[in-house]
Amino acid sequence: MSYLELSGLQKRYRDSVAVDDVSLSVEQGEAVALLGPSGCGKTTTLRMLAGLVDPDRGAIRLDGAEITRLPAHKRNMGYVFQSYALFPHLSVARNVGFGLEERGVGKPEIARQVEEALALVRLAGLDQRRPRELSGGQQQRVALARSLVIRPSVLLLDESLSNLDAKLRDTMRHEIRSIQRSLGITTLFVTHDQVEALTMCDRIAVMDRGRIAQIGSAEDIYERPATRFVASFVGRSNVLPATRDAEGRAVLWGETLPVAVPASGEFDLFVRPQRMRILPVSEPVSPGMARVHGRVLRSVFVGDHVEVLIEGVGGQLTVEMQSGSAAPAEGTEVAVAWPLSDTLPFAREAA
Amino acid sequence: MTGSTRLNLLVLPAVLFLLAVYVWPTLGLFRNAFNEVGPTGAMVEAWSLKTGAEVFADGFTFELTLNSLWLSLTSTLIALVLSYPVSLFLFRTNSRFRGLLAVIAIMPMLISGVVRVFGWLAILGDRGLVNTLAQSLGLISTPMRLVFNWTGVTIGLAESIMPYMILALLAGFGQLDRTLEEASRSLGATPFRTFLRVTLPLSLPALALAAGLGFVLSMSAYITPKLLGGGRVFVLATEIFEQATTNTNWPVAAMLAIYTLGLLLLLLAISNIAARRLQR
Amino acid sequence: MPTRRLVIQAGLATIAAPAIVRAQGLSGQITLMSYAGIFQDNYVKTVIEPFQQANPGVKVNYVPGGSSAQMVGSVRAQKADPQVDIAIMDVTTSSIGNTEGLFDKLTPAEVPVLAELLPEARAAGGEFGPAVTFDHLVLVYDTQNLTPPITKLADLWRPDLKGQLAVSAPPNIQGLALTAMVEKMEGGDYRKSIDAAIKKLRALAPSVQTFDPNPDGYSLILNGVVKVATGWNARSQLFADQTGGKIGTLLPPEGSVFQINTINLTAGSKNRAAAIAFINHALSQGAQKAFTERMFYAPTNGKAVIEPKAIARTAAAPESRARMIGVDWNEVIKLRDQWNNRWRREVISAAR
Repeated sequence: MSYLELSGLQKRYRDSVAVDDVSLSVEQGEAVALLGPSGCGKTTTLRMLAGLVDPDRGAIRLDGAEITRLPAHKRNMGYVFQSYALFPHLSVARNVGFGLEERGVGKPEIARQVEEALALVRLAGLDQRRPRELSGGQQQRVALARSLVIRPSVLLLDESLSNLDAKLRDTMRHEIRSIQRSLGITTLFVTHDQVEALTMCDRIAVMDRGRIAQIGSAEDIYERPATRFVASFVGRSNVLPATRDAEGRAVLWGETLPVAVPASGEFDLFVRPQRMRILPVSEPVSPGMARVHGRVLRSVFVGDHVEVLIEGVGGQLTVEMQSGSAAPAEGTEVAVAWPLSDTLPFAREAA
Repeated sequence: MTGSTRLNLLVLPAVLFLLAVYVWPTLGLFRNAFNEVGPTGAMVEAWSLKTGAEVFADGFTFELTLNSLWLSLTSTLIALVLSYPVSLFLFRTNSRFRGLLAVIAIMPMLISGVVRVFGWLAILGDRGLVNTLAQSLGLISTPMRLVFNWTGVTIGLAESIMPYMILALLAGFGQLDRTLEEASRSLGATPFRTFLRVTLPLSLPALALAAGLGFVLSMSAYITPKLLGGGRVFVLATEIFEQATTNTNWPVAAMLAIYTLGLLLLLLAISNIAARRLQR
Repeated sequence: MPTRRLVIQAGLATIAAPAIVRAQGLSGQITLMSYAGIFQDNYVKTVIEPFQQANPGVKVNYVPGGSSAQMVGSVRAQKADPQVDIAIMDVTTSSIGNTEGLFDKLTPAEVPVLAELLPEARAAGGEFGPAVTFDHLVLVYDTQNLTPPITKLADLWRPDLKGQLAVSAPPNIQGLALTAMVEKMEGGDYRKSIDAAIKKLRALAPSVQTFDPNPDGYSLILNGVVKVATGWNARSQLFADQTGGKIGTLLPPEGSVFQINTINLTAGSKNRAAAIAFINHALSQGAQKAFTERMFYAPTNGKAVIEPKAIARTAAAPESRARMIGVDWNEVIKLRDQWNNRWRREVISAAR
């Protein structure tokens, strides 16, 4: 049995289901991201773990003991809130020491541990400040230190970086990841930002409408999305409407592609733009590659790459080229090729 | 014309209105305080400090001041203890009846003083609800005196200022954030410890604001002490009214009114300073 | 019965005829300020409406002015530009207006009806507005829930009335009147000392529910809050009738005190002629008779001939008159602060 087990968790509100059926196993020391759009139930799941929301059904086990109905203050979970939730009337040191005071730790010991925790998040010397005198990044570090100092069984991070600017977010991402690794602390990280999920966690659980759509490593999720939702939510894809020929093969823009397709119903082919290459019309492709024809509509320079929009008989698609490589001129007839293994067919959902 | 001049012109009607209906009559009131009163109560126009000297030499003025302060203090504290949980609940509830509940909480504002008195008589009177219940349970043999005395006025006043205090509390709960309480709980504090260490300290500015308002309202309350006091409760407000409308003694009434106004301004200043300190 | 109505109408016309002749040339409006409620209703019906019929050119506006003190306050505030022509109020406050020059003196030349008034009615206002009604302090009681009913002032101290009394304390003039009555009951004289009264009243304090009945003692009895209250005779008689006898009225055999309302002409009245005409009318035998029979205020016009049934319910009945304590309100009013303080410190402070 794993260190942390969620099984069949459900939470309904008056007129909606926040979490429908969530089961998840987390190993000790592992960092798992709950990734999904807003409203998918990821925060509710985290709050159920912390004891801030009572699940309607299901169970939570920690280290073999059931904690489903345990009150929040007995759970020993370190919860870092999106808004940081620092106590405005207490100094940084009192904020960080709060949990230790509640645990009846002696004053000198609290002082020592607080100092240590502040050093860990690189805030030494700011202990007498009030939260409102700190920058957003510093507040974030205080919140982190406050949750870490109690040596929580599980660290719960709720969109913890979303209020920081892009640059600071980058730094904090790496700092949190390295602290998490060095302390070997089991961590659940709620985010809607796939980069955060991909870079900070060992495994990712993609959530969709109150359920986990897919759990796996970053690579699993990205390369082998289990559902249409995962494929479209994680990374960018060309969504190409295709048809089926008499032998059950996919037909795209007039070309037959030997990929397995759903037996019935309408479907699309998902292809990542950066897996596609632009070739002269005359250049042949090796077997195992898909190939369609089109005309270059326009190229957009995005910085680290160039996006080329191509129009063919069946619609449009985008190819991502490394910047530096020469983009074909607008109006040029080209071929677009990609490995068949990167072609993911998903049935079209009823609207 | 600059923008700010135009804005100033916009407040002109309000200023004129205030001058006409508030400042001018108040100055008239001040004027009366320096008149004298003859033996039969006739007012003699004068510029004299005789009335003032009489009012402040009279030990009863001091007694009235203490009575007013004590009554305000007790009813404010009672109202505060009762309003705080109500406001906290209203502040937090997600109930779809929240609006309705808030209206119910401030409803007493809409009830006239006389109706309120008969309501309290029905509850606190010798044959009221409380006494009937206590007697039928065998707790007491003779009725408790709960009305027409200080007890009744304190209860009635606390009730009448509660709606204002609830509104003040709701307005002052700015810093109170549910997430902070959750943070406290997740850090291992029990609900009670969370209340003590987070909710209460963060409510202090609101509590100070509400207490200041309740105190000032209590100090100037006239109807409740008059109607529920049974003629036994003497405070500044009732004395001012009595002097003006029963004794026809305008100079004394005016002098007491100025004195009370000064006292109230002083209290307001203190409460403002306290609230600002707590906010910091 | 057309004949009878005709006779009455003819009779009324005859009575009114001289007035119409005299009133010719009177026009415009006058404003009368006095008490609100049933006083207003009945005064308008029995005094003002007949006056307006007799003087079709004059319109009388009745303005309710609150308590007597509030009325004298209004007149005082309007001193520079009087809006009120006539004010009917308690003698203790009208005397303040007289001293301050708010009211005009009245001469028998202008107001011939003064000659018909009882001496004490003239005396009440001195050279100023005379008494227009006499009332007196009574004990009002719950006839349904009080057995045996009270029969004398001393009954207030009955043990079974503990917690059942509503007593208006000074500075309310009911309280002042009661003080004089209790002093008399105890064998003293308020002019010399009220020590005996205060001592006796102090013993009464624990029996008193409220020293400041609101809205009034009659309502508190009807609502079952108290069983006995101090009150004024006229209103009590009217409430007794209106409630079908639920309220009883007792003129204590130990004696009572007159309450006097005076009728006052505002100095600087803008329609002095009409105001004088109204005062003549208000003090006339007819108006005094009509108002007494309607509301049981004793008349101040000694020549008014009043139904025996009505007069028996006022203090004008001979056996009542004999029980009245002569109180000079102009003297009492100088003692008011002193009595008030003694009540506060010695009577009201006694535990409930």
